[in-house]
Amino acid sequence: MSKNLKLKASRAAKDMSQKDLAAATGVTRQTINAIEKGDYNPSIKLCIAICRVLEKTLDQLFWEEDENA
Amino acid sequence: MHKSELDEMQLQKRNNIGNQVYMILFYLLLLDIGLYGFGFRWLNYPMNVVVIMNACMAYYLVRIIWNKSYVGPKVKAKSLGRRIGIVIGLAGLVAGITSVLLKNGSLLTVSTEDNSAVILFIVSVVLLIILAVVSLISKWQARSDE
Repeated sequence: MSKNLKLKASRAAKDMSQKDLAAATGVTRQTINAIEKGDYNPSIKLCIAICRVLEKTLDQLFWEEDENA
Repeated sequence: MHKSELDEMQLQKRNNIGNQVYMILFYLLLLDIGLYGFGFRWLNYPMNVVVIMNACMAYYLVRIIWNKSYVGPKVKAKSLGRRIGIVIGLAGLVAGITSVLLKNGSLLTVSTEDNSAVILFIVSVVLLIILAVVSLISKWQARSDE
């Protein structure tokens, strides 16, 4: 799984730390870190919670374009 | 057991570790039975089973703490301290009752050939060590989050 740089950029744009985002979504900082690094595949429920906090859509944060397309 | 306060990644990790440790426990007990069948007795029953179960439990706890899946995001250091306080208080209460019963001599009629006193002592010591380690690591986890 590749790194989720879109999530990291959106979080930085909102001037939020991993800890802030974790607190807002009710998970640990390690979980947010793992999602950004691509080490953990979050549930749709957590994806939606992250999108709501960062005011983005699921597509904007989690959709990966096919490189071969 | 109270409601789990772990987040989804922590739950996933804890479940994976739990499954692995369950299989380890199963095979260790099977191996122990096999060795017993061949006449090799490394410890008398029930100490062998207690040692295997304690080792697996300690391994499970160490692994979930190492993977930061023991304390959930909403648990604060205060509640953990309170929990440890309750356990220590209960241990003191049990010790008090045991000492009163021993003084009265009502426990002396019980047979002590099954090493139950040693097992109880070892389990208590292991539990206290685990609690101390968990407390220290939880504090370290909270500090590393800041």
